[in-house]
Amino acid sequence: MSLYESSVRKPVMTSIIFIAVVILGLISYYKLPIDLMPKIESSTIMVMTTYEGASASDVETNVTRPLESSLSTVSNLKNINSTSKENRSIITLEFDYGLDLNVLTNDIRNKLDLVKSYMPAGAGNPIIFKLSTDMIPVIMISATANQSLPALYKILDTKVSNPLARINGVGSVSISGAPQREIQVYIDPVKMEAFHLTIESLAQSIRMENLNTPAGSMDVGSDTYALRVQGEFKDPKEINNIIVGNYAGKTIRMSDVAVINDKLEERAQESYTNGLQGASIIVQKQPGSNTVQIAREIQKMLPEIQKGLPSDIKLSVINDSSDNIVRTINSLAETVIYALLFVMIVVLFFLGRWRATVIIILTIPISLISAFIYLNITGGTLNIISLSSLSLAIGLVVDDAIVVLENITTHIERGSRPKTAAVNGTNEVGLSIIASTLTIIAVFLPLTMVSGMAGVMFSQLGWMVTIIITVSMICALTLTPMLASQLLRLDPKRSKGFNKVYGPIENFLDKLDEKYATLVNWAVRHKIRILLFATAFFIASLIPIIVGWVGTENFPAQDSGFVSGSIEMPIGTRMEITRDVCQRLNDQWKKKYPEIDMINYNVGQASSKNIFGSLFSKNSSNIGTFSIRLVSLNKRKRSSFALTDSIRHDISLLPEIRKSAIKEGGGMSMMGGQSTIDVEVYGYDFAQTDKVAAELLKRIPNIKGLVNTTVSREDYTPEYQVDFDREKLALNGLNVATASNYLSNRINGITASLFREDGEEYSIVVAYDLKYRQSIQDVENILIYNSQGQAVRVKDLGKVVERFTPPTIERKNRQRIITVSSTVSGTTLDVAVASINKELAQIDIPSDVTTKIAGSFKDQQESFSDLGMLLGIIILLVFVVMASQFESITYPFIIMFSVPFGISGVVLALWLTGSTFNVMTFVGVIMLVGIVVKNGIVMVDYINLNRERGNGIIRAVVTGGKSRLRPVLMTSLTAILGMLPLAMSHGQGAEMWKPMAVTVIGGLTVSTMLTLVVVPVMYTLFAASGVKRKHRKNKKAALQKELGE
Amino acid sequence: MKSIFISFDQAYYDQVQTILTLNHVRGFSGWESVIGRGSKTGEPHFGTHAWPSLNTAIITIVDDEKVKPILEQLRELDGTSERMGIRAFVWNIEDGM
Repeated sequence: MSLYESSVRKPVMTSIIFIAVVILGLISYYKLPIDLMPKIESSTIMVMTTYEGASASDVETNVTRPLESSLSTVSNLKNINSTSKENRSIITLEFDYGLDLNVLTNDIRNKLDLVKSYMPAGAGNPIIFKLSTDMIPVIMISATANQSLPALYKILDTKVSNPLARINGVGSVSISGAPQREIQVYIDPVKMEAFHLTIESLAQSIRMENLNTPAGSMDVGSDTYALRVQGEFKDPKEINNIIVGNYAGKTIRMSDVAVINDKLEERAQESYTNGLQGASIIVQKQPGSNTVQIAREIQKMLPEIQKGLPSDIKLSVINDSSDNIVRTINSLAETVIYALLFVMIVVLFFLGRWRATVIIILTIPISLISAFIYLNITGGTLNIISLSSLSLAIGLVVDDAIVVLENITTHIERGSRPKTAAVNGTNEVGLSIIASTLTIIAVFLPLTMVSGMAGVMFSQLGWMVTIIITVSMICALTLTPMLASQLLRLDPKRSKGFNKVYGPIENFLDKLDEKYATLVNWAVRHKIRILLFATAFFIASLIPIIVGWVGTENFPAQDSGFVSGSIEMPIGTRMEITRDVCQRLNDQWKKKYPEIDMINYNVGQASSKNIFGSLFSKNSSNIGTFSIRLVSLNKRKRSSFALTDSIRHDISLLPEIRKSAIKEGGGMSMMGGQSTIDVEVYGYDFAQTDKVAAELLKRIPNIKGLVNTTVSREDYTPEYQVDFDREKLALNGLNVATASNYLSNRINGITASLFREDGEEYSIVVAYDLKYRQSIQDVENILIYNSQGQAVRVKDLGKVVERFTPPTIERKNRQRIITVSSTVSGTTLDVAVASINKELAQIDIPSDVTTKIAGSFKDQQESFSDLGMLLGIIILLVFVVMASQFESITYPFIIMFSVPFGISGVVLALWLTGSTFNVMTFVGVIMLVGIVVKNGIVMVDYINLNRERGNGIIRAVVTGGKSRLRPVLMTSLTAILGMLPLAMSHGQGAEMWKPMAVTVIGGLTVSTMLTLVVVPVMYTLFAASGVKRKHRKNKKAALQKELGE
Repeated sequence: MKSIFISFDQAYYDQVQTILTLNHVRGFSGWESVIGRGSKTGEPHFGTHAWPSLNTAIITIVDDEKVKPILEQLRELDGTSERMGIRAFVWNIEDGM
């Protein structure tokens, strides 16, 4: 007994099985966490090595190069980049996506061990550092304050940071922009020298006075007592009274030579939110924990925390990465609902029967819900990919059920009893259903095997759709016939009202059938004309892409509701001045753009303790970084891209800003944002590459649509250097080490000891007073003591000169490189690349220098070549599936003719909607291959059936086509209308899926219309020649027989 | 005694059984899946992809007087749907045990 027969015979068993699946699916659904993207393992590993005292080029030759040559043998390596700075070498290894990072890390560690012995003696141990998406902050909270500002760090640390860190899943909570308390001992060098004291001795005195010492224990009577000296300062003022020496018989106290300040540390990053100073608190999650959940808990906790804070401290969330996730997921969920509704309307429109509609619609929830079981088992999440897979699949899952039900209905109308009709009707179309489902699987399953970024994104899509489609096929072969046998009636009575509404529709559909039959009848008798027209149409439709009306890009730019960027003042600008400029911009933007919800900016140097700040953002006294949050998408008219452009314009009007880079996107999401084009300039000689880069920097901004042009090699920064004369040093019994130590202690200061209060420790820093470290003369006047106690001034030992430091040396794949990068705004990637290439051709490039275009363009090329190959494989697979199902090569070939028209439709749709050809479009084209051949399979299979039943070719084609018109139109319309909500969606994240939906809609519409005519024509053409060949063969055989006799 | 050979579309199985029962016919032999094609009209019943439907065949030995009503009722059933088809043939039985 076949599958459908037993399910028709055993309705209870069939329904119970499906109910069980639905229940399991619903349980899984409630257990699924929400996330933006499927889990993406990062693909970058950094190796950091310190080499104290070495210049950039020393670091390059002694550390970076040996490490690079060893590390470049690590398998699966895509790119190896390095920067060699003073004291430090950072090597970044880029791998393909989707590899096991732990294995790679071990591999790297082994390679490092090999090369360790060749490293210079002073070089530190290389540190391996994994970059992962988990480091993207979950939430950024700003804390603004007035009176509490001096104590802000401590308050935030104890009252905000600690409770937040206790939340399950929170990895680290770091505070930036709140300066920490520091006890400063500022020395007056003149007085100090008069008393023959040194900074070192003063620091030593503090160290010696600020001590708690245990002195053992003693027995008194029958008890044992511990003996301790409690010498630590209880108040910073005590430092004033420390006796630091004797001079002319008088005791000298600290207060005689120094001023004690209980203040905030000197150089710190300041953070402003909406113009108010405060701090930002950055929460990062533990690897593997769920962003939305953590953010939700933090949001729940914040009001509680706010209550416990002083009234002038206000906490507000700057950037909640879960916000974007929740909004995106919600807008996608909405499209799923709309798709469901549209599909329902289409089915009802064509069938005109409530019961039939219900039977078909039932397959949608069952197959979609079964996908949740898969997600739950594999530990997946509800994310953009999984939800849009649902949205994509809705239009496809009803197809099988429609074909089955349609055929069963025909059987019933011809007089079969529902049960027999169900079995026979299913049997007739079973083969074509399996074939068409297999073609869809042939399209989506290979998606799970793609490598790289596209692979990470689409493997879930592939699995989801494969599973959904498989379940829908099983549904169509079991549940649909079973329900049809139970629910369908031979001649259902229709109410008058229903007839009134549906009557005209039915008439229309009947007429459509007739018209179509006439058309096919005409077409199969005018084959040449039809084929010429089709070919002409196909060629004409390619014009937009040949002429360049349809541009290309990598991923579509996504309105993230954030604008971020940095401005750079001339090097050496004091922080106060940078701050003023930032404040001015802040006020200006606040007034000018009502779309701005919040502006946060940071200025100044981040302290070394702030890992996030120092690693991931540029910071210096002359740099200000902005992050601007816009109000939600539906409350504003201008897109974040338009705003970014006008903000860029505002900045360009300020002459004091030397460099700026403003980008759409908060840097907190992985994708979206605008595309960049990098021109990589390779070459060893600094001067030559600098010249080329400078030339590019001059030319690229003139190209329309390219903004934010920056050069990666930093400027030669001015600095003071002390050139000691070694002979003079030796004469005085000194060496460079001692002398430079003296300098550092006076200017940078030494941390003499720690002041402890309430369980917190604060540094006590001894240094020259601010006013004695502001000029070259101040440095020259520093006294250096030798071991005999003789004092020599710096100016007697050497010269203080102003120089430019050599820049950071960047290398990519073991070659020195400068990257000139620019953001694409207002044009497409291919156009921009073409114009850059034109400029490059005009630049006189020395023979030692090579240039290459990278950035989004390279990513695009990589993903396009990946996807192109995939498209080829999929077309082949689809062909194989069809060939084995039809047991013929001719029929699949005929059906494949619908693919080019699909492509025509794609090009036209992209052109009409002004979209670009990008990765998402490409995926749309790939999916299209599976969807468009479905129509062909349904038609050809039925035409074949008619011929097997003894009809002539033309009659088989015309009647077959006529009877398959409705299923074909229905399946196409459900797929098209199922995608429509995605294509029309304006919600968060819609930019990503829109092009794909537009592609499928356009391709499917055009291909369906043409397939309906071209496939019958092709069929007659091939079948007729097949029949003729057979005749000829028969004739020949007969002739031979005759001759033989 | 006469034998009636009835060949019919599988979908008619229940109805044919009812007719036999109503006519107090208890005994019969049958073949559940039988292929066949009508001499003049009707769809072939081949159980193939092109002609998926199949017949069931029943042979029953009844008293002479039962033959007429059974055939009449079968003809009536056949009239409900042209495409499914029922055919019945009668011949004599000489002996049995």
